[in-house]
Amino acid sequence: MRRLFLAFLFLLCTLAIFAQDDLMNLLDQNSPKQINYTTATFKSTRVMNGHSIERMPAGQLDVRISHRFGQINTGGYNFYGLDQSNIHLSLEYGITNWLMVGIGRGEYEKTFDGFTKFSILRQSTGAKEMPVSVSVLTSAAMKTIKFQNPAVTNYFTSRLSYVAQVLVARKISEALSVQLTPSYVHRNMVATELDPNDLFAMGAGARLKLTKRTSLNAEYYYLVNPRTYMSQKVYNPLSIGFDIETGGHVFQLFFTNSIGMIEKAFIGETTGTWTKGDIRFGFNISRVFTLKKHANPAGNQ
Amino acid sequence: MKRIFISLAVAVIFSFFFVSCYYDNEEALYPTLNNACDTTNVTFSGTITPLLSNNCYSCHSNANASFGAGIHLQAYTDVIAYSAKIVAAIKRTGPFPMPPGVQLNACSVSQFDIWVRNGMPNN
Repeated sequence: MRRLFLAFLFLLCTLAIFAQDDLMNLLDQNSPKQINYTTATFKSTRVMNGHSIERMPAGQLDVRISHRFGQINTGGYNFYGLDQSNIHLSLEYGITNWLMVGIGRGEYEKTFDGFTKFSILRQSTGAKEMPVSVSVLTSAAMKTIKFQNPAVTNYFTSRLSYVAQVLVARKISEALSVQLTPSYVHRNMVATELDPNDLFAMGAGARLKLTKRTSLNAEYYYLVNPRTYMSQKVYNPLSIGFDIETGGHVFQLFFTNSIGMIEKAFIGETTGTWTKGDIRFGFNISRVFTLKKHANPAGNQ
Repeated sequence: MKRIFISLAVAVIFSFFFVSCYYDNEEALYPTLNNACDTTNVTFSGTITPLLSNNCYSCHSNANASFGAGIHLQAYTDVIAYSAKIVAAIKRTGPFPMPPGVQLNACSVSQFDIWVRNGMPNN
């Protein structure tokens, strides 16, 4: 009887060797549980126009060159908008793995801008379960375009505007990531009393990975303030396009109805609309340089 | 050291928020300007030249014309030569919307339009 039992047990053991998964589970149970942070929710620090949850890791400098061309409906004489271009240049640096800062200059209203973005929560599994990643973005922009009425007393503060955003993202699967972005924009100076100084918007972005190096992205910002009575007719910005990763570069190529490349501009000052064909081709090029070797480059803390 | 640098950077950025948060609008701050878009007394020396000087001469003055595709808009004869193109540019209906990036205010656009329709007097 005992011999029979041992033989049976032996048989069971050989079976268990084939069932690799069970063994791995056993291993997991015995070793201390690790936190597996989700990485690469988005390919770049921007979804398209707006920021994504991603930050630069410590010691890495991101040099970004972005363009938005003219409207496609300006016709073949303008090569469907490609004859005109608006540029935004920026330098963005990871101070720590959870804090990045950036400065930029855009042609639109000759604007200088600066931002900080820091991580509060990171999506993870394992020892610590966290369903979403959360970052906070604060930025300030200063337009330096000449005042239209130099005769009156113009104030420096009229040039300033501020943005605060909470970025909440979840990588649902290897292929699909989504992000919600409640946003607040304050403009020190607006044109008329009907234009709100404070703008509230809800942004939504998504990334669908197509191949290892390309993904399909979409982004939309919904302006909560009623737009009917504003002195300038504005629309909600919608962008659709592709991310292409080639080694150290990320190319983002897309179509959008906004000309601005900073939050203040594309949330509150998008004057084109998709339905009338006011669509612009745009791209962001991102090149990352490692300025300081860091002990933990993957950004795991 | 690093910690000091980080907190300094954060402090500088946040200081923007508290130094200068205003709720201004041009209509209330400059009541005379907005209520009075002077469309009756439009002259070349009094209206058009200051308008061009403020919005165009960073690229289209005689000195800087190389930035603006060789087009200079300082002399009266130059302005009348380009007037049709200027109207299309500032109304953003032509191939080259100007000034690039930002739209000229409605008052200036209509003033220029009125001056052209008045026969572009050199006054």
